[in-house]
Amino acid sequence: MTALLELRGVTVSFDGFRALNDLNLSLQPGELRAVIGPNGAGKTTFLDVITGKVRPTAGEVIFRGRSLVGISEHRIARLGIGRKFQTPRVYENLSVRRNLELAVSRRSPFALLFGRLDGSAQDRVQHLLRVVGLDPQAQQLAGGLAHGQKQWLEIAMLLAQDPDLLLVDEPVAGLSDEETDRTGQLLRSLAGDHTVIVIEHDMDFIRNLDSPVTVLHEGHVLCEGSMDSVQKDPRVIEVYLGVDDDHQSQP
Amino acid sequence: MLIVAASLILPAVLPPFRLNLLGRFLSLGIVALGVDLIWGYTGLLSLGQGIFFALGGYAIGMHLSLNSLEPGQLPEFFGLYGVKELPAFWQPFASPVFTLIALWTIPALVAGLLGYLVFRNRIKGVYFSILTQAALLVFFNFFNGQQRLINGTNGLKTDTARLFGELVGSDAMQRNLFWLTVLLVVAAWLLCRWLTRGRFGDALVAIRDDEPRMRFTGYNPTAYKTLVFTVAGALAGISGALYTVQSGIVSPQYMAVPFSIEMVIWVAVGGRGTLIGAVLGAVLINYAKSLISEQLPETWLFVQGALFLLVVTGLPDGLVGWWRQGGLQQLLAMLGRAPRASTYPGLDLDPAVQAEKSSFLSQRPGGEP
Repeated sequence: MTALLELRGVTVSFDGFRALNDLNLSLQPGELRAVIGPNGAGKTTFLDVITGKVRPTAGEVIFRGRSLVGISEHRIARLGIGRKFQTPRVYENLSVRRNLELAVSRRSPFALLFGRLDGSAQDRVQHLLRVVGLDPQAQQLAGGLAHGQKQWLEIAMLLAQDPDLLLVDEPVAGLSDEETDRTGQLLRSLAGDHTVIVIEHDMDFIRNLDSPVTVLHEGHVLCEGSMDSVQKDPRVIEVYLGVDDDHQSQP
Repeated sequence: MLIVAASLILPAVLPPFRLNLLGRFLSLGIVALGVDLIWGYTGLLSLGQGIFFALGGYAIGMHLSLNSLEPGQLPEFFGLYGVKELPAFWQPFASPVFTLIALWTIPALVAGLLGYLVFRNRIKGVYFSILTQAALLVFFNFFNGQQRLINGTNGLKTDTARLFGELVGSDAMQRNLFWLTVLLVVAAWLLCRWLTRGRFGDALVAIRDDEPRMRFTGYNPTAYKTLVFTVAGALAGISGALYTVQSGIVSPQYMAVPFSIEMVIWVAVGGRGTLIGAVLGAVLINYAKSLISEQLPETWLFVQGALFLLVVTGLPDGLVGWWRQGGLQQLLAMLGRAPRASTYPGLDLDPAVQAEKSSFLSQRPGGEP
């Protein structure tokens, strides 16, 4: 099976500082992959490179056999790569429903002006509202939602886009335990049809995902494997001082 | 609606001078709508709308200069600079049809081209504002310096020209122009409403609030911004043409820096992000300006500055935004008249509570289906 996404020797340097340093990573279709690493390990830059926000200084990013380097963000998104941001980024001055409608719409200005949202798209919006439990708030401005609801709305918007590859940056930051569990379930159910990369600090959450883990350190892949094997790796213990769970996981 | 009703009554009531002023201010409402579209909705603070305003004004001005001439004659001012032949770019403006199309397409094209180059290079925020102002200065200086082409600083006079055999400056013609202005304000308002109401408007607001997010969702903000900037340019052109024929002259002063900044102030005071606010702001501020300038000519700039400060510090959504958010009630409450509430309004209006309530009612036998 050929890889859906492949990073070959990707290096990003900002004025000499290497945020990513010869990063190699390959992802099979349908895979769920967790990426962890201490602060400054280059996790967010890694997503920036894939989504076209940052252009690599060297190396290649291959998505479905085609290079993404030099392609603008919106075209990469249209190829089927969706991204959820670290802090929930929803359009605060639009209602919840309208946030989702933008996510399911066709992207050209003229389609938005002259076209109507067809029935199946409306059904999708309705369905997603129910999946994330925001049905009652559909007409409310997204800016008025609670933090957890915004996280869920953003995840719903990501699903509405229906990307092949989902890049999820800290999906459970600031969520309650119950919400965290539900998010984990949702991400696991998505894998298979979609390919998912999850970046998280919450080690319990990653452990529950039960997926292969890639550890980044100083812009380089330190090691890969299951959560248990990764945590026993002496190099990982070295970069993460005190690998004891209680110190690792952040509320 | 109020404006339409008012404009039906006012021509009968107001003396021609006041009516003409109102017509001029209403035509400024059209450029304000454009500013609201790009700034209030899309977040592009342009300080160069005067360019497009003046281009529209010059288009109609050139046509009127040619329209009342005998065959073979040249507009008077050309004689002063020894120009014997009509410059080539003047020729098409002899045609009324061409002029009517050009007075909005030329500003639209210029805006579209300028916008595309700027937006494609992702220039935004303060840099965009400075760039538009710089462009304004370039146009201003160019028009000022071109005596031989468009009469430079003196501009083109239109009120002694003839349109359909009638003097443009005459009362009857001015009244017709007033009607036309009202009609076009309403049309421009409807256009902007259509643009902002649906998902296209949502996309504009989304670009204003979080442009990178839009990119990562697959939208290309450049296309949206260019389109909306072009529309604003066209509106400015129409506005400039109407303003020109009602004030009797078009000159490079329409591209003066303060005038374009004033346009932004009208929208800010009226209420950015509300279309009616843009029109109201333009009319109210200009009316206040003319009234105050009549009484105390020196004070207007101070009043305008104070108004702007008031809006920036106290009424971020302008007068209309303040009104819609129940500002009047709050003001009354501050003066001791609290609004009445029958229950806990916050709880009663909570959509989650509403949904619970309706599902509860539907489950109850005999409840609402």
